[in-house]
Amino acid sequence: MQSTASMTEQSLALQRRLSTFTRVLSTKAPIARTPKELVWTLNKAKLYRYTPLMPAPQRHRIPLLLVFAIMNRPYILDLRPGHSFVEFMVSHGYDVYLLDWGCPGIEDKGTKLDDYAMEYLPRAIRKMKAVSGSDIFSMLGWCIGAILTTIYAALRPEEGLRNLLLLTAPLDFSNRNHVTFAKWTDEKYFDIEKILDAFGNMPAEMIDYGARVLKPVDNYITNYCKLWDNLENPRAVDAWHAMNTWVTDNIPMAGAAYRQLIVELYRKNALIQNQLHIKNQRVDLSKIQANLLTVIAEGDHITPPCQSEAILRQVSSIDKEVYRIPGGHIGIMAGSAAHRTTWPHIEHWLSSRSR
Amino acid sequence: MREITARRGPEGIFFALFRGNRMTEVKDENTRHSDPFEPFRGLRDSYLNAMSKTMVEAVNTETYAQATGAMLDYCLSASAPFRDVLEKSMAQALQQLSLPSRQEVATLAERFTNMEMRLDDLDAKLDRVLSVMAAPRDEGIKPKPRRARQGGKRG
Repeated sequence: MQSTASMTEQSLALQRRLSTFTRVLSTKAPIARTPKELVWTLNKAKLYRYTPLMPAPQRHRIPLLLVFAIMNRPYILDLRPGHSFVEFMVSHGYDVYLLDWGCPGIEDKGTKLDDYAMEYLPRAIRKMKAVSGSDIFSMLGWCIGAILTTIYAALRPEEGLRNLLLLTAPLDFSNRNHVTFAKWTDEKYFDIEKILDAFGNMPAEMIDYGARVLKPVDNYITNYCKLWDNLENPRAVDAWHAMNTWVTDNIPMAGAAYRQLIVELYRKNALIQNQLHIKNQRVDLSKIQANLLTVIAEGDHITPPCQSEAILRQVSSIDKEVYRIPGGHIGIMAGSAAHRTTWPHIEHWLSSRSR
Repeated sequence: MREITARRGPEGIFFALFRGNRMTEVKDENTRHSDPFEPFRGLRDSYLNAMSKTMVEAVNTETYAQATGAMLDYCLSASAPFRDVLEKSMAQALQQLSLPSRQEVATLAERFTNMEMRLDDLDAKLDRVLSVMAAPRDEGIKPKPRRARQGGKRG
């Protein structure tokens, strides 16, 4: 009888595990829950202001604008309650804004990096200044957001940018042996015009596939094994669920912007060589004067460290710092240890420069 | 320029999630046995680690890039005639039904975006005008000194 009871208990426990496993894989986690209000829209782009927790006299004077990549959802910065970079910064007295680029449609296939960096971003910044009442601001760019913020900082150095933070910034494509994407998108193998003729925009599924295939076993098998192993740990399951919700929520990339990314940056490496032209202006990185913090993920297989180092030699900023941290492209900001390492460092660096 | 290096173990996206949330070693006997893969976990992890390293090296080669590019090129070339036929037949059908094509809707959307940009610029100019108009009132306008009339008073 004891054996039967034990077997029954084990069956029920296994059933619970299977139920949790299925639920996590088939539903969306509650994410991006930090209170915010929409303050500006343009086409698909939206600028959100997060509700401050402190009264104005206690807040940092200089607002912070968060700019993420254009082919992923930006709520990775506000992943889940209790583990959100936005929540962390708001609780430390920052006036935080988030620029959501939105999901491009076929009508946006002609949108270039020029438009993102010099049409949408300046307008969003203009609105942020009006809402915050401050002409000085800080800006954090992550991944391709770092490319856009760098372009803006170089072309508009006199428009109030005090602090520039670049996270895992893919700016230098000279070391092709270390940049896997550079090999895959070489003009010998990758006909970008054929893809864009077929689809208009770069499909989200292809972008997702490309990111996952960098570590195929980890992304297609091991991650699910780790979930299975931790099914009885509710915190681990919630964390996995939230991350999986974001990872599977990809959006396409505007065709013209993708073409520029591959041809001008990956193939010609124009940005770091000061040969990139945006809106008929040459992007000269030496024009960047803002205080600069570059965060490099040492285990980043999407943007290897070598891609984020050269910028420090190019800018004219007097106050500049590089912060190297073990971790992956997303893990350094969304991983379980981010609130103990990356976030406090960013906050500490900004704190003295936001008065 | 300052350089700071944080020290902690390497982790990926999902591995980082579990780093601080490892399951405790002490488990209920029944709970442990609810996982039929428990006895094989060590072997599984060793195999996956080895395969992971092999595959990461494999996808980072020129051969893989060439193979992927060739496959993509083949798929696009093979599907191109079908896409052309579908596009043309769809355009004809929409025309027959007096409905706009996707390209026409996209063109209209582009024009809306341009109009939105102009409105946004107008909005910003209006904000600036309003703030300029408000500023002198806050400072207090001093009345202009009256000029003395020439030729005495009227009347």
